Amino acid sequence: MQVNETQSSCHCKAKNRPKNLNLFTIRLPINALVSILHRATGCILFLVLPIILLLLQLALSSAAHFERVVSILDSPFIKLMLLGLAWAFFHHFFAGVRHLAMDVHWMTTLMKARYTSKVVLVLGVLATVVLAVKLWA
Amino acid sequence: MMTKLLTKRYPGMRAWLMQRLTALIMAVYSVMLFIRILILQADSYEAFLDFFQPSWFRIASWLFWISLSIHAWLGIRDVFKDYVPNMQMRSVLLKILVVLLWVYIAWASWLFVRK
Repeated sequence: MQVNETQSSCHCKAKNRPKNLNLFTIRLPINALVSILHRATGCILFLVLPIILLLLQLALSSAAHFERVVSILDSPFIKLMLLGLAWAFFHHFFAGVRHLAMDVHWMTTLMKARYTSKVVLVLGVLATVVLAVKLWA
Repeated sequence: MMTKLLTKRYPGMRAWLMQRLTALIMAVYSVMLFIRILILQADSYEAFLDFFQPSWFRIASWLFWISLSIHAWLGIRDVFKDYVPNMQMRSVLLKILVVLLWVYIAWASWLFVRK
């Protein structure tokens, strides 16, 4: 609305209008943050599908290959990547459960939605931390 | 009213419902898998094979993979719809997506069914 008004009333100021192509100038509300992370983590999980299948195939094929997969997954760098992936899974999982809850009209007011967004973010990180402790301890 | 919305006239409603149904199946499977991993602690090749042996687990895993494929198809298709305005480019990407998902299904089926 506002943009249209300025556009029609004064063309001379068009040059000075902010273009807002810089994504870092946009402060996302927490619900939007959870939403875009849900999408991003979904894409990441889709991209690692072939790696999961490959590792599964190797691990099932023979004892030697199984040991090899275990040693690959045991290296510190891979472990860190795994942790990142685990976070992607956990976030996608909890944000998905939140969507399902909202589909049955649970926690749908703005304040409640903001609260469940925080819960989703915390749960995702918490689950990852628990896994990290389990992987390194 | 609900059933009317699920006919072919409203493909969006079907997609919406399928995305939720597959999500539910995957969520239940994931929880089951985590519990199974925690209980069985498969740390040797033999134990890992045993982990994979029961037919119910293979069937569940296969169902999970089918759900995942449908879920990924709907999700990634939405991403393409949002970020790829060029229709030719989008249709090529969607075709690649379909081929990839079918290859993954064939691969996963082979892994879950053999032996």
